[in-house]
Amino acid sequence: MENYSKKVMENFLKPQNLGEIENADGVGKVGNPKCLFKDTNIHTNLKLKKIKDIKKNDFIISHDGKYHSVTETYKRVISEPIIVLKNRLGEIKLTKEHLVYAIKIPKGDKFLRTKNKKTLIPAWYHAEQLDKGDLILYAILSDTKDVDYLEVNTKKKKFDHNSKSIPSKIKLDSDFLRLAGYYLSEGYYFDKTNNVHIAFCFNLKENNLAQDVVRISEKIFGITPIIKKNETQHSQVVYINSVFIVKLFKELFKSGAKNKDIPDMFMTLPPEKQKSLIYGIWKGDGFFNTKIPRGGYSTISKELVHKLKILLLRQGIIPSIYTEKEKTDKKEQKHQECYRIHVGDKESTTKLAKIIEVTFYNLRPEAINSWIDKNILYTPITFKKTENYSGKVYNLEIDTSHSYNTNAFTVHNCGDIMWLYITVSKNKDGKEIIQDIKFKTLGCAAAIATSSMVTELAKGKTLDDAFKITRGDVAKSLDGLPPIKMHCSNLAADALQAAINDYYSKQGRKILEITHNDNCSCCHKEKNCKK
Amino acid sequence: MKSIYLDNAATTKMHSSVMKAITDAEEKYFGNSSSLHTIGREAKAELDKAREHISKKANSKNHKLIFTSGGTESNNFAIKGLAENNKNKKHIITTKIEHDSILNVYKFLERKGYSVTYLDVDKEGFVNLSQLEKAIKKDTLVVSVIHGNNEIGTIQDLREIGKICHEKETLFHSDACQSFTKAPINLEKDNIDLLTIKAHKIYGPKGVGGLFIKEGIKLEPLLHGGGHEYNLRSGTVNVPGIIGFSKATDIIGEKEIEHMTNLRNQLIKGLSDVEESWLNGSKDKRLCNNANLSFMYAEGEAILLYLDAAGISVSTGSACSSNTLEPSHVLRAIGLKQEQTHGTVRFSVGIDNTKEEIKYTVDTVKDTIKKLREMCPYKY
Repeated sequence: MENYSKKVMENFLKPQNLGEIENADGVGKVGNPKCLFKDTNIHTNLKLKKIKDIKKNDFIISHDGKYHSVTETYKRVISEPIIVLKNRLGEIKLTKEHLVYAIKIPKGDKFLRTKNKKTLIPAWYHAEQLDKGDLILYAILSDTKDVDYLEVNTKKKKFDHNSKSIPSKIKLDSDFLRLAGYYLSEGYYFDKTNNVHIAFCFNLKENNLAQDVVRISEKIFGITPIIKKNETQHSQVVYINSVFIVKLFKELFKSGAKNKDIPDMFMTLPPEKQKSLIYGIWKGDGFFNTKIPRGGYSTISKELVHKLKILLLRQGIIPSIYTEKEKTDKKEQKHQECYRIHVGDKESTTKLAKIIEVTFYNLRPEAINSWIDKNILYTPITFKKTENYSGKVYNLEIDTSHSYNTNAFTVHNCGDIMWLYITVSKNKDGKEIIQDIKFKTLGCAAAIATSSMVTELAKGKTLDDAFKITRGDVAKSLDGLPPIKMHCSNLAADALQAAINDYYSKQGRKILEITHNDNCSCCHKEKNCKK
Repeated sequence: MKSIYLDNAATTKMHSSVMKAITDAEEKYFGNSSSLHTIGREAKAELDKAREHISKKANSKNHKLIFTSGGTESNNFAIKGLAENNKNKKHIITTKIEHDSILNVYKFLERKGYSVTYLDVDKEGFVNLSQLEKAIKKDTLVVSVIHGNNEIGTIQDLREIGKICHEKETLFHSDACQSFTKAPINLEKDNIDLLTIKAHKIYGPKGVGGLFIKEGIKLEPLLHGGGHEYNLRSGTVNVPGIIGFSKATDIIGEKEIEHMTNLRNQLIKGLSDVEESWLNGSKDKRLCNNANLSFMYAEGEAILLYLDAAGISVSTGSACSSNTLEPSHVLRAIGLKQEQTHGTVRFSVGIDNTKEEIKYTVDTVKDTIKKLREMCPYKY
């Protein structure tokens, strides 16, 4: 870590305005615990779960790309502005001080991200510190565990004399994974008495896929499927009749298009093997436009889309994910909520094309804004806003790694805690000023020094001026802070605004919107600069 | 201003006798130990003497001592050297409390397709032996367990661990950087195949270390070149540094161990009445110079810097002092919650510390904790 400046050390060793004020006019409390919203989707070893449903001992993916267990869950009720961030993978809502794994991009539009890749240092930033264009780091599942065989329960029911037997051990090879892929995209099962089968529905043109299913079924199960063609609908359906296969597929891939799921065991297979699964899924239901070029896939299963996202990331393919809300079209036909995956950049399309065996020439030059390096996806924030929220928020405590993946971000929590007390009086001009200010802080040297400095800066100022003190002002007055400690100055500025707002609300007055407008590097002092 | 150095687990100040031995050696034995002439041969003779002298300290009979540039190299050499020569064995067993110099070797190998079992430790930091026994597989390359833990000071029972490894026909490596000469090590009786040692934790020079290798075990060198050190570690041998290492192994004797143990106990006892604080690691089976304490409602980096301002040098396992904002993996492995790791301080005494210094330290720590707790918004 970088050394602290002399000013930081002075303020740390001899903090000013330490203590508390009894019957203070306003108190600002900031810091732990930091939280996410109840519907935030978290990747666990079993499925995507809402954070509110996560329990102790569930396994989540951490910033090291590995599964870690949840050791504690927290919730609390808040009423404050929260941050919404979006990137190509999705959206997250979090309290403004929640830490996100990211890289702050220096201001100035000439900055070339890829050229300066090596000089970009990842760190944990408070959500509110981040802006559109900053890079977030998303950990890609890196656990790998090969499975050679699947065990199948082939025990016949009493009086079942018809069912054909299938092998009790099925080799988990590229053939089976391709079949699984077709099923996830195009398959369904039927298990009424006397009519038990799994079926694959292909276009008439997709003869090669239908034949592939036939071949695989014969090879693996020893069962020859039946193909039924429907010329009017331009479709053909491949039926594999077996009670055991239905049972196996139901167990592995769940039932109904909305709930289709890739089993966890498949998620940690070696990436080389997973290529066959991607092949099957994409051939079944995806498209690839060789002219643009672009790959796409759409499904109504949320599980499937997010698992496919991980599979693609493990191949070094960078997807974008879009959610289409439930809608009714002009013909009054209802469409369920649907998820789309797009693959568009040059490297990713090339990799995807290779997996699904499509050839194309891509000479189009392009600007790279996302990349993968050592199992981490680097991708920019595409949208940021602040909105008001009242309700429950949640957080998790994770074994050893202390971080977890949501569907689009990798987040963390660390704990500085700062309380600021103010008393307010009027100056000669009748304006309200901060007459006295004191702080209490639990944290490192930077947290103590920034607390001390913010009290020094605020003391005697009018409430309006004090409210405008930014984290930049605090850091600047301390002759700078090491980058990883910048969030401490944030906390100090936040605590001051929170204390002033607390005063206003006790007075029954309107509270001010919490802002930190020091991002304008051109005119640091001009608080009203709109640039 | 006072200067009380209590970070001897990070490094030690070179002892004057070591310094003299090195300066003398630079004068007399500057020759290249591979040269055939008299000056070279003299250097070689001194090198062999040093090798023998250090080997005796670990009761080495069937082991070869290879000199390296330090603990990190020795650990890398041991694990990667084995991996390179036994490509059919792709499984490694270690603990959750290893030093980074070996933990990151495993991370590297995991990226290459190895699977690594990280054994749990109990709340005092001891390895779970039955878990170890169950974890050993046919393709286990090596079991590696740190001897004296660098953070919490817990000393593992190498003999029992080594016994299990040998019953299951697996190799056993231990990192003894912190414990060498401070705690008894017997390569034969402790069933050790590979042992990492180094000089600068015991008042020797930095940049000098060694790896004991049991005869018959083949390692692929990390450094290829002129074939020095039995063809296992090429590079002109640092004879004066090694002579300094040899001298350093004489510095900590029974008397010094007793002295450091007393100071350590004085420190632990002196601070035992601080509320909401505790000793991490084992009470009895711990390094003679290590006291690792946690204080609630005070943050480690802040404690460290306040003590530093009072002339006392210590270290901390707090997340705020690390580049990643991650708390120490060792503290997490012994079951501390994140908020319990924040106020953790490691004191490691040395042979030159005095009772008075420890008394001053105890008083200063108490003042510091009090001061920080007064700053803390929480009442406890």
